[in-house]
Amino acid sequence: MRRRPQLPLPPEPDCHQVGAVLQSYLDGELGPEDAGIVAAHLEHCERCEIESATVSKVISVIRRQRPDLDPEPIARLAGFIDELEREGPDDLE
Amino acid sequence: MTASVEVVADDRTDARFREQVLPELPVLYRVARRLTGANADAEDLVQDTLVKAYRAFDRFDGRYLRAWLLTIMRNHHRNQLRKRRPDLLEDEVAQRLPGRDQDARVDGVDERAFRDDFDPLVRSALVSLSSKHRAVIALVDLDGLTYREAAEVLAVPVGTVMSRLHRARGKVRAQLEGHLVEDVN
Repeated sequence: MRRRPQLPLPPEPDCHQVGAVLQSYLDGELGPEDAGIVAAHLEHCERCEIESATVSKVISVIRRQRPDLDPEPIARLAGFIDELEREGPDDLE
Repeated sequence: MTASVEVVADDRTDARFREQVLPELPVLYRVARRLTGANADAEDLVQDTLVKAYRAFDRFDGRYLRAWLLTIMRNHHRNQLRKRRPDLLEDEVAQRLPGRDQDARVDGVDERAFRDDFDPLVRSALVSLSSKHRAVIALVDLDGLTYREAAEVLAVPVGTVMSRLHRARGKVRAQLEGHLVEDVN
């Protein structure tokens, strides 16, 4: 069972406390102070560092699958904003 | 005089709207595609969202623009679903959001959600996830939303996004474990 993240972290958290916020840390969801505390822990804790590298790898192989975005619909939608400004919302609904 | 002041005010609103919303179009379109499962419907959904956002822009408090736009999109999409299928219960509507299991089997919504040249092992791991787990991975990892933004789209608390993401990635990890070891070290 995963422990609930307890924030803010103490200055010297144990491995369980770091494990509970590791996902948020890797996703860039921690504030700078907590992120710094996690980074410092990973510097000297081999076990947590290996766990962090593994989770990070899982995230990166998933993110590599991000679909490419066709630029055409985005350009059309940008044009739609121009129309919205020109015509007003009433004529475009 | 009054009229020209109004025109200036409208022009300022237009400029701010365009300047702020334009960079969000790719994310809006990605999420709309995931909600609708079809490119043409996604474009319509983003257009409807833009019209509603434009009308409400004066009342926007300036914080978390992307989350605000995504909330408008999600609410509009749910209202559309209700109109088309008024027999659906609220929780069933919520479950329809990004790719039900049934959708994946019937019309390949989830196939469109991922790359064609998908690494087969990762693809198989992601497709084997439940729709709730797949949805959160899609929104956070593939569409690049923050936890808060994904929570807005799914209409669930941020803590639920975090726990689903943790479980979903854990399941992917379990399927990839033997293949990850060499790469990690």
